[in-house]
Amino acid sequence: MSLVLGNLLQALRASDVRVSTSEGIDAAAVLGAVGYDDRALLKTALSQVLAKTVDDKSRFDECFEQFFHAEDLRQLPPADEATAEDNAGDSGNETEGDSPGGEQPAAEAANAESGDSLQSLLEAGDRAQLQMAIASAAREVGITEIRLFTQRGMYSRRMLERMGVEPLERRLYALRSAGDEAEAEAERLRGRLTVLREDVLALVDRQLLLLTANAGTRLREEILQQVPLARADVSDFRIMQTLVRKLAKKLVALHSRRRKVAQRGVLDVRHTIRRNIEFDGLLFNIVWRRKKIERPKIVAVCDVSGSVANYARFLLLFLYSVAEVLPKVRAFVFSSVLAEVTELFKTHAVEEAVALTLQQHGWGSTDYGMAFTQLCEQALGDIDHHTTVLILGDARSNYGYAGLRELRQIHERARRVIWLNPESRGFWTVGDSEMPRLATACDRVDTCRTVRHLERLIGELMRTAV
Amino acid sequence: MNAPTSFATDVRASLAAIHAGFEATGYLCSDAIATAIFLATNLQKPILVEGPPGVGKTELACATAAWLGKPLIRLQCYEGLDESKALYEWKYGKQLLYTQVLKDKLGDLMAGANGLADSISRLHEFDDTFFSTEFLEPRPLLKALWEPGGAVLLIDEIDKSDQEFEAFLLEMLQDYQISIPELGTVTATVPPVVFLTSNNTRELGDALKRRCLHLHIPYPDANLERRIIASRVPALSDGIRHQLVGFVHGLRALDLKKTPAISETIDWARALLLLHADELDVDLVRTTLNLLLKFQDDIVQVDNDLYRLISAARKA
Repeated sequence: MSLVLGNLLQALRASDVRVSTSEGIDAAAVLGAVGYDDRALLKTALSQVLAKTVDDKSRFDECFEQFFHAEDLRQLPPADEATAEDNAGDSGNETEGDSPGGEQPAAEAANAESGDSLQSLLEAGDRAQLQMAIASAAREVGITEIRLFTQRGMYSRRMLERMGVEPLERRLYALRSAGDEAEAEAERLRGRLTVLREDVLALVDRQLLLLTANAGTRLREEILQQVPLARADVSDFRIMQTLVRKLAKKLVALHSRRRKVAQRGVLDVRHTIRRNIEFDGLLFNIVWRRKKIERPKIVAVCDVSGSVANYARFLLLFLYSVAEVLPKVRAFVFSSVLAEVTELFKTHAVEEAVALTLQQHGWGSTDYGMAFTQLCEQALGDIDHHTTVLILGDARSNYGYAGLRELRQIHERARRVIWLNPESRGFWTVGDSEMPRLATACDRVDTCRTVRHLERLIGELMRTAV
Repeated sequence: MNAPTSFATDVRASLAAIHAGFEATGYLCSDAIATAIFLATNLQKPILVEGPPGVGKTELACATAAWLGKPLIRLQCYEGLDESKALYEWKYGKQLLYTQVLKDKLGDLMAGANGLADSISRLHEFDDTFFSTEFLEPRPLLKALWEPGGAVLLIDEIDKSDQEFEAFLLEMLQDYQISIPELGTVTATVPPVVFLTSNNTRELGDALKRRCLHLHIPYPDANLERRIIASRVPALSDGIRHQLVGFVHGLRALDLKKTPAISETIDWARALLLLHADELDVDLVRTTLNLLLKFQDDIVQVDNDLYRLISAARKA
């Protein structure tokens, strides 16, 4: 029983449901309370104790269905060799749970060489018995260790060996020359052996799927974090999207809560007197001064012109995620003229919003001077000493006026101006880049080429947004 | 294998008992809810209930209290809630009076004492009641622990409270006990059944979630909702009940700012009963739509679609 539960927990963790040890213990208690008999009841009960968010619940459902795939093996008719039912090759785990004692002799017998028991099992054609034998063989070879696609052959081979297929085959080979009747018998057995092979392979496949469902995605995510944004493929956009969203969510969860920091030691005289009027001015309750940390207000400006076209998708993606999770974000994009996209982001889904933005505003030639002038017109009133101004762009203004005066003006009002440039530092002095000059009106200028960079910078941004 | 089967029938019987018991109090529960109640009472674990507003999260706690015949103790959470409002408070006035009385009595007590050492030892013999349960004003959490026959404790909208308060609840949820610095640890004689509700305005901490069963109540299916309406507004005729539930389900399929929940459906059913309506028609729906939808944008959006929705509801 505990083995099945352990396997289930492992499978759940593999499909990204976070299960702690104490929740595992709770799950065991739940099993004790509801038992294994009612499948639907078991599922609801376990889902209440193991999956603690709505997302987790849907993942749990999926995993549970896969894990306890065959509902009840005993109800299957004993299959003859011709019908290799797909769904029959399943869920040794459940049978383990049903009769922990029952299969042990079968396993040992199967182990005991000679293939005698395997032959009799095959001859009897009892599918359930066969399944139990497969399950115990799977356990003996440690199927839960399987991690790679290429290990499938090895594991299924080992399982078959464990069940004594080899001696059986030798015997079948010997039967070949022993007359027609024996040969027909051998043929029949061989057919059943094929079904057995398929069953074993199906079990191995399912285990692999359960245990490694998300390993591929995880690997990709890890790599994508380090790939320069411009070089990431459009087909990776979807993964990038989940990645960026995860990142934004994490950062916000870390920093968004409006914290009240009580500074011990500084007396708030006004409040103390007010609070103690009821005691005739005797100071019973002393009030300390508190400092409130507000969530940062952000004005973000993103360059979507041709020169940064490759980055623009990802920068917009990030902008979208930030706007989604933080309440006070005004988002602007520009190539030659500036446009506010805050409303667009609010009303559209992410893919649509990014596509629309690029379609409506993208691909023009850059004009930083115009952009900053318009930003002053549209948003200067909104920029105050709580605001962080975030500029995403390469600062290449086609040798035109770069808007240094306006940026200075913004800088004077804002708490901070942060410029994230997709080019590496070496290129900032080359060609029409205005970065060195514009940097004088920024509090911080940094290269932002990968998701990792983005994460670090934004994390810092929010942590210090006092 | 006989033992498990009878065990399973036991479980099923107690689930059926929960269904029946809740129905008697006027709360119709789904299988998931019944399972949660069963687990919570058997394993003595608190239940964290999540779901959209108006699906009966708070109502579930009330129904449980009625079913178990235990008092319902409710703690509404809000930002800035602290232990003096949730757990206990000293009765300062009484304590002041007590010190006054003590001062008067002090003379009698110390009569005939020789020297300082003697008076101090006498003072030690005297019971210290200044920090005792006499002067303790219990707040909801302490009340729930003190309740001799056990209670149903509802901690409503836990997501509105601060993170510190959440951490403070952990001891209570784990062991059903609470530490009061001046007195020591107070343990529940009969552990209360605890419900926590959340509207998900913020993500709750893992430590809190770990200690609770997690029950998500979605909008009910049409069948269950019809039964709920039948039990809450019994005078409404069958025909219009079908139509109104069908209409509400049509609304939920739309992309609205605030989709109508069960409580709104019940309100609407009452209104239709009051208007003696026996069939949905466009005018009737248009005039009463503000009971279901709480945003002007939503009302405008639905208004455009009204004919289609009503005809679909009539066919259902």
